Amino acid sequence: MIRFIVKRDGRKVSFNEDKISNAIRKALISSHPDDKSTSASEEQLIEKLTRQVVSEIEKENLQEPSVENTQDIIEKVLIQNEMAQEAKNFILYRQNRTNARIYNTELTKIYRDLTSKSTADMDLKRENANIDANAPMGLMLRFGSEGSKDYVRRYVLRPEHSIAHSRGDIHIHDLDFYMLTINCCQIGLKDLFKRGFSTGHGFLREPQSIQSAAALCCIAIQSNQNDMHGGQSIPLFEYDLAPYVAISYSKHLCKVVCICLRNDDAKVDDLKAYCKEIYAKFNTCLSDETQALIRNKVIEVFKREDPNKDHQADVDYVLSEAIKLTERETYQAMEALIHNLNSMQSRAGAQVPFSSINYGTGTMPEHRMIMKNVLLATDAGLGGGETPIFPVQIFKVKDGVNTKKGDPNFDLFELACKVSAKRLFPNFSFLDAPYNAMYYKEGHPETEVALMGCRTRVVSNYFDKTKEVIPGRGNLSFTTINLPRLAIEAHGSISKFYESLDELIYMVFDQLMDRFKIIAKKQVLNYPFLMGQGVWIDSERLNPEDTIEDVIKNGTMSVGFIGLAECLVALIGKHHGESKEAFDLGYQILKYMRDICDKHTVDTGLNFSLFSTPAEGLSGRFVKIDKKLYGIIPGVTDREYYTNSFHVPVYYEISAAEKIRIEGPFHELCNAGSISYIEMDGDLTKNIEAFEKVILYMKECGVGYGSINHPVDRCPVCNYVGIIGDVCPRCGRRDGEGVSIERLRKLGVGCICTG
Amino acid sequence: MQTRLHARNGIVGTGVKFERIRRVTGYLVGTLDRFNDGKRAEERDRVKHLTV
Repeated sequence: MIRFIVKRDGRKVSFNEDKISNAIRKALISSHPDDKSTSASEEQLIEKLTRQVVSEIEKENLQEPSVENTQDIIEKVLIQNEMAQEAKNFILYRQNRTNARIYNTELTKIYRDLTSKSTADMDLKRENANIDANAPMGLMLRFGSEGSKDYVRRYVLRPEHSIAHSRGDIHIHDLDFYMLTINCCQIGLKDLFKRGFSTGHGFLREPQSIQSAAALCCIAIQSNQNDMHGGQSIPLFEYDLAPYVAISYSKHLCKVVCICLRNDDAKVDDLKAYCKEIYAKFNTCLSDETQALIRNKVIEVFKREDPNKDHQADVDYVLSEAIKLTERETYQAMEALIHNLNSMQSRAGAQVPFSSINYGTGTMPEHRMIMKNVLLATDAGLGGGETPIFPVQIFKVKDGVNTKKGDPNFDLFELACKVSAKRLFPNFSFLDAPYNAMYYKEGHPETEVALMGCRTRVVSNYFDKTKEVIPGRGNLSFTTINLPRLAIEAHGSISKFYESLDELIYMVFDQLMDRFKIIAKKQVLNYPFLMGQGVWIDSERLNPEDTIEDVIKNGTMSVGFIGLAECLVALIGKHHGESKEAFDLGYQILKYMRDICDKHTVDTGLNFSLFSTPAEGLSGRFVKIDKKLYGIIPGVTDREYYTNSFHVPVYYEISAAEKIRIEGPFHELCNAGSISYIEMDGDLTKNIEAFEKVILYMKECGVGYGSINHPVDRCPVCNYVGIIGDVCPRCGRRDGEGVSIERLRKLGVGCICTG
Repeated sequence: MQTRLHARNGIVGTGVKFERIRRVTGYLVGTLDRFNDGKRAEERDRVKHLTV
């Protein structure tokens, strides 16, 4: 006689046969899910099976059976009675219940660790290096994030997607935002500023100077970031801000005229209006041609005020002074922009906005003034001389504009290289690459490919070919495929590899579509800035209650990948950096993936693209799981990370030129974006020419987006910026070591240690 | 980021680490302390492609 049963938590409760009958009833009903009731014969069967189960338990002589072994016995009895389907359903039901229980405990454990463990001890808190998970708001964000992920995994994803994610076949990025929003956006400031906008309380009118335009640019980035889970970029930085340089110029000009005339009330309205007219007509007030016209107008104003005086010298002074003041204001505006983007908080104070700005091709004097000054402000660094972490700056390289001596912006390219050699930014994008150039329409900078800082690229638009433009569009979401896993499981069979790759990509398509359908039902009012202020393409036509389904079809959904190098080693023993055969196979694999994305784009009418995943949080996740499953496989699972996207492994000795040549061709395949880096050593600021050569070689080799990495260290004690080995070259201290104030004084270091 | 340094017995900077700015994805990161384990290992393994 069984009197007790032991529950999972160890509690002893009285044994109740009805519970066994219930479980069996559920298993029976599960094989005819449309009819939730049981027939009389089924009830008899249930009674019979229950008796069998009980007698089995008794036979095993279990005085106090546990829930687990009771369930084992139910399974066994069902199978013995040749009820395969019912048994299978029962097993599945048990598995689901177990999952749910494990999830619960996992989540509780994560919450406990989040509050008790330091960031240094917990990888999860360092998922994104630009978010401070030590600070209360960062931690709050993690709490919400982990809870949300758990919910999505359990109740939102299809079970097969959820299992593929937790097993590490795929990684669904930003799972915490699955039900909430889309990834990133390329913000066009032009129309936003013209219309004016609102960020909550009060309306912001069109800015009337470069200084306020730069400030509003930061506000737009900040506000939009709060509506999305990814970064924000300004694709047409110099173009969108140039009109406000011209407005500042006209103001300065009028002011200097008044000063020169010693008359605050001198009538200069027509001069201001004239500048506006000139800008509307010529797109610049500062070219030689327009300066000559403005000069005549200034003479006219002077004559009107004092007809008898010769104003020649005054006019020269006024014109040059107005430009000087404009230049000064532009520098301050750019300096403020960089400071703001490194200090203003978003997402409840957990981080500064992830911002990027693209520039390089505007050739009007106003454009050039903006670019020169943003570069100079970057060079100068932040208040303590620190290297600005934001915005990511991307210099657009284009033949005929800035690649050769004599090109109108060649001086800016040189300056960009010089600044990047010191500050790591700007990165460089290459507009002449055929896959970028094909979208370019002469005279339409909005068709110049731009990038999110991380590498995301959005340009083609199969959904609406008339809108193959950059501003107002972005990525909706992406999911990454574990390439090395597929290769390991193919056991050297290339055809098996392709088969499973194919299957997995289509599963990812399904998952991306599920996600799309959730977000598509959201309304404009859910995104007060992104949609409410018309930042996203076509959203300004919508009403607050409209759904965003149609407009987000202009965005992209991407299939990402990681570890092409490890995948190739697992398949044929070598990676693409060390063998031509491996390179060819690697190229073929990515081409295959890209072709499937293209095909799916045509089949669905939506933009699916191939992404060389940035993989910051993901870099170590897959390999950790794979190491457990397959053990240590040399060149595949023997490190703590999988190699990023199609990169040649970071540990592999290879020359800069060779690396660029190998990675170049892959850029064309990754239409959702990719980046190549070269690691350089030495003091680059002393050899800018070598730096320029590497950048231009990237352009030659088909790279779409690239940058040069070099160590940029800073000693917070003496403020030295440069390469620091073990010892700071200026104050002589080691990492963590103290230095005497006296020594700092002798070195002439203005000490910041007085706080 | 270290913003305030206190002198103790005429010595400053004890316990203050160097800032080492590195690129991950396309972004920069101001301190290696916030790198996750995988990224930290990758950063450690990076070899130079060109020395000037």
